[in-house]
Amino acid sequence: MKVQKSLPKTKQTSKRQQCNDKWFKSNRIAKNSDSSNLSPSTAMAKLEHRASNLRKDKPNLKRLKKGAKAVSFRPVKTPAATERTPSRPLTNGGAGGPEQGSDSDESQDWSSFAKSVLHQNGGGESMECQESCVSAKAAPGRIEEEAFVHCAERDYIHNRTVLVMQQGQTLCFRGKCLLSCLYGRVEVHGFTLEEGQQSYPLFSPSSHCPLTVTALGDSPNPSKTKKAGRLEAKAIVRKYLSTETRRRLLSEVDSDSCVILLEPLDTPLTRFLTSFPDLKELFGLSSRDIRESSAMLDTPLSGLGITPLRKTAGGMVMSQTYREALNGLVNACAEELDGCPVILVCGAKNVGKSTFNRHLINTLLNHTASVEYLECDLGQTEFTPSGCLSLSTVREPLLGPPFTHQWAPEHMIFYGQSSCETDLDRYLESLKSLWRLYNRETPIVINTMGWVKGFGFQLLVDIIRLFSISHVVQLSSGDKVMCPQLTPEFLRSSHGWQTHPPVQSALGEDNSGTHPAQRSYTLFRIHSEFEGAGRPGEMRHQRSNEQRDLALLGYFSQLQSPEPGPVRPLHCFTPYQVPHSAVAVGVTHCEVAPTHVLYTANASLVGLCCLNEKVSGRGSPVLLSQTPVCPCVGFGVLRGVDMARGLYFLVTPVAPSILRQVNCLLLGAVTLPNTLLTGQTGILGDPPYVTMDYSFELTGAGKLHVFKGLVRPGQMKNAK
Amino acid sequence: MKKKTTEKKGHVVAWINKAEWDQVLEYLYSKDCALQKYALHRISAWKGRFAHNTPIAVESTADLVRCQILDRSGKLDADDLVLLYGTALMRFVNLITERQQGKIARPLRRLASNLKIPEWIVNLRHDITHRKLPTLKWCRKGCKFVLEWLQQEYWSRQLGSGLAENWESQSEGEDGEDELQRQEDEFITRQKEIESYKKARELLISFEKEQFQTFEGFLEEDKQASLWPEPSADMSWILAQIKHFALESSEILIDALIEDGFMVPTIEQLVSLSVDNSDADPTAPHLSRVVLRFWLPLLKDLNSQLFIHLLLEKLFVELQQLSEDNQKHRSFYIAGWISEVILCNSNKNEYHYESKIQRKGRLKDKIFMKRIQLRWQQLLAACLNAPCVATPHLLQQILEDMEHPMPLDTRQKLLRLSSIYTQGADLGCDPPMEHSGQPSGIYTLESLHERLRVQSRRQVYMMHPGIVSDSRKALPERTEDFQEHLSPDVLAERAAELRGSPWQVCTDKVQWKNYPLGKVPGQSEDPSCLMVDNFSTIMVFDQQVEMENATQHNTHAGVSMPHRVTTDGLLWTHNDISKLKAGLQLF
Repeated sequence: MKVQKSLPKTKQTSKRQQCNDKWFKSNRIAKNSDSSNLSPSTAMAKLEHRASNLRKDKPNLKRLKKGAKAVSFRPVKTPAATERTPSRPLTNGGAGGPEQGSDSDESQDWSSFAKSVLHQNGGGESMECQESCVSAKAAPGRIEEEAFVHCAERDYIHNRTVLVMQQGQTLCFRGKCLLSCLYGRVEVHGFTLEEGQQSYPLFSPSSHCPLTVTALGDSPNPSKTKKAGRLEAKAIVRKYLSTETRRRLLSEVDSDSCVILLEPLDTPLTRFLTSFPDLKELFGLSSRDIRESSAMLDTPLSGLGITPLRKTAGGMVMSQTYREALNGLVNACAEELDGCPVILVCGAKNVGKSTFNRHLINTLLNHTASVEYLECDLGQTEFTPSGCLSLSTVREPLLGPPFTHQWAPEHMIFYGQSSCETDLDRYLESLKSLWRLYNRETPIVINTMGWVKGFGFQLLVDIIRLFSISHVVQLSSGDKVMCPQLTPEFLRSSHGWQTHPPVQSALGEDNSGTHPAQRSYTLFRIHSEFEGAGRPGEMRHQRSNEQRDLALLGYFSQLQSPEPGPVRPLHCFTPYQVPHSAVAVGVTHCEVAPTHVLYTANASLVGLCCLNEKVSGRGSPVLLSQTPVCPCVGFGVLRGVDMARGLYFLVTPVAPSILRQVNCLLLGAVTLPNTLLTGQTGILGDPPYVTMDYSFELTGAGKLHVFKGLVRPGQMKNAK
Repeated sequence: MKKKTTEKKGHVVAWINKAEWDQVLEYLYSKDCALQKYALHRISAWKGRFAHNTPIAVESTADLVRCQILDRSGKLDADDLVLLYGTALMRFVNLITERQQGKIARPLRRLASNLKIPEWIVNLRHDITHRKLPTLKWCRKGCKFVLEWLQQEYWSRQLGSGLAENWESQSEGEDGEDELQRQEDEFITRQKEIESYKKARELLISFEKEQFQTFEGFLEEDKQASLWPEPSADMSWILAQIKHFALESSEILIDALIEDGFMVPTIEQLVSLSVDNSDADPTAPHLSRVVLRFWLPLLKDLNSQLFIHLLLEKLFVELQQLSEDNQKHRSFYIAGWISEVILCNSNKNEYHYESKIQRKGRLKDKIFMKRIQLRWQQLLAACLNAPCVATPHLLQQILEDMEHPMPLDTRQKLLRLSSIYTQGADLGCDPPMEHSGQPSGIYTLESLHERLRVQSRRQVYMMHPGIVSDSRKALPERTEDFQEHLSPDVLAERAAELRGSPWQVCTDKVQWKNYPLGKVPGQSEDPSCLMVDNFSTIMVFDQQVEMENATQHNTHAGVSMPHRVTTDGLLWTHNDISKLKAGLQLF
């Protein structure tokens, strides 16, 4: 294990060094603590455990099999070599090593590294987005059907597949699997996996853009010749495949190829989700894949639960501006002099904010142990069911859509609705109280809502002002201008909902003393060029309400036991019970007559919240008179109410040690997925709140339906 | 099947059961203000459940009833009331016609007339929105009319209540005739079916007779079994007739064929064919050659891809039913026939070393020669759906013969499971299947789906073996597993973690799996069972999510809005007070 040499102080300010130390500290710890874990085993047993406690157990990011590889300056033989500076080993914590001494200007090293990765990624991706990129032309693109015959081999006994990828080759797929990198380096949605690291679950359901695995090639190693590398790679293949199956594969292996292992993935989450009839094909092909017949069905991967896609299926499309922004932000994280970068990502609906967020977080996680994430979007939340604002510390890469990582955030506030327009003040107050908890020691990514007009825009202005944003990423699509460019100059004169430009506020209260001059920030503008940008998804499971249901199902899948067993419907779990008088009940989204409040609460989704006040109701239910901004620790289903004994029954995956603090149950407009109520099996009698006889044919039977953009007859003529 | 389940699924609504709905409907349209108020309060709770999905008819009714209550209370002036009524009426007209609206705005009058809403109501709405406010009298009149309209068009028709009456009173004539016609048609088709069934039986009986005669003659001559005589002229004629019949109604023919006494021979028939079946192994049903040859002329004649599909399908359905009734003899033969048909289709080349004569003999006994493309996934599903002692045997045949074989381990697991489930003889540790698990041939989308389906089926199967026997019906053992049983250790651990807090793990001896969400043991069906008689209200302030870092908060600039104050000064902000007031007024 190499020890990181101290940096020459002469070249850096002390502050700078402090910052960088922080930046790398956790990585080093990660490396040390895990050096004992030498086993490359990716047994399913481990997976079960990890998938359920994905983030609880490991404070560190990645496990390295061995010490970081030393660096060589031997130019890598790739088509893109001309553009690349000698790349630094991407060992996530392998910041140590000789290059620390030789290349003391760390930031330069950092940025060159970032560049190299991005170029490389760009090379692979640009093949798919059909952008002209000189370096990419010679690079091999996506693995196509006939190639699988040569480069993949299935081990039927252990049901796993070893895949050899050449540098720059990509594998784009649907399905779910467990990926480990056996040799070399591969990149998935911005995150780099390296040989010897733990394996990661990948989720590429039909509802989202398919994931792509890109081979980056082996990190150059001076101690090994090319031949040694090849021998090592071959030895790895031998370890995983039996004699008769590996022969073909061995001829494909070279020192700079990547060898990855794909295994089937079966977790409580996937079991629970696919137990619903409507979601059976969630990890199958999307209707578009089928329509364009872009799926390659006859490959050695098919038995694992993944289906590779042909080049015709897009995969993720990164525009030039997208890559520049990503590049710029990675550099910024290395260079930032005073404090960590505060990155705000904004844009109208469906422009790819959340995909960009995940990509950015994954990319940052290559270098730092954790990234903070502040959720300001109530509708399409990343880590929680919708209707919640939260602050999360992200330590694991996000290799799937939100419903696959419903991790308990560090701090969460229940808002109760999937949009904030009914109570802008409560929204901002909630965000402020979350912001106060941010430690400012790690970079933070702030996700904002897609409401960028009118008051929505004012709130955005407030957030930029209040949270001392250092980088704004503004995504847009098409030619339509949804909101003005958020340049620092523009912000200097624009009004927010709570904040106002300094000039004007100076007229009123004395702001000059309390408020430091508005910090300027860097603006990255991204123009999304993927197909369907700016429009809501039309395919199955893409509508926002379906996404919300998926997130909730993902959340409640935590109740399922990690051991394979029957998928239990929610009503089969032994509930917790609590007296009516010990917890307050509040409805956040409408006024409900207090005597009838249990009619709303029964069999509903509740946010489990903690009030500082002591709640005691002398034997009778306690109701909240208004909605407070208070911490929320999770969700549950109010499974039933025992009126005789005065008890609430609650089913929740929240740990009892946390549940004990809960003294307030908040109800919101985000409701349980209907399938949870309609799909209850094995019950005695009819399920409540479900009817077969409701007729939607009758006038007025439907919900309020707002037609947007109703054209008046007069306007028609005018348009012509 | 997928469709069926979605059809079966109900809609999620805000009322617990029909009784609650009926109660609210009754109270809404009662003359008693207190009851009406009760109904409004309940609807406020419904709105909480429905969130954004409250039916507009419910919402409009509640608004209008609210106006009536306030009007009767006598506390408001006429002008106040006009504003209240006005809003309620305007919203009703706008919302109810919204769905009628197309891309281009159309006059409300026309939309309303489609809904049987008279023009004067629409005019009232126009007056309220952009003309002189109408008088209170007109408002009351409008409100009364609209409430009646809602009762008639929505409330009394919804949830099947009074639906039948209404229909009968409205359109008795046409519907009645249609119904008669339909019944008549049904009767005729049934009659036809019965007739063709009879005919099928007759044909088959004559075939059997003929065969028996030949057989007896053949027994007397005591010739070699393989030299079964050529069909006689009578036989040819019978066969031609059956073939003709099969063209039209092969389904009925097959139904008749698999009856007892035909393809499933009775004991007497077996005796007269001198077949002794007593030592047959039920786990590996194998038809006696005599029985097979008895039917061979007919089957060979009928042989077509469609026929074979249908036959297999029916045989499996039969097997499934039999597995429930436990008729050994019959299921043995049904399984035997399935096995025979699949065997005919087998493409296995294990006959390399047979002599020519052997080969000839073997081919002679085949119902058909050419391999046909069976619907493997359906077969597999059907086979798993009909578990019996012979299932492992059949399953193995299917698995080995599939066009796109599944991975070896999957096959083995599936076989193992089925043999465990049917408690048949152990197939030996690993059935001797050569390592040809490598998928070969051309993959279609179908085969992928099949694979997925098989996998998921396998998972389901592993989790609760009962389910596969009939996934459509809820078998008793299926639910047995669902109940979560916490071990004493887990219970103790949870209890320890909760100690000192009001929370507890529920330790009642309750089979929670029997109680759907929203129901607890002992809960009455009375819709007023969840009413809260006593309650207390608490005021809380915004909580500091954590107390540290609070200092930084105040440095944020430019906060000019009156925002929630949590420090000293006024306890309640304007916002809080207005909210409180609103709450007080409502209830």
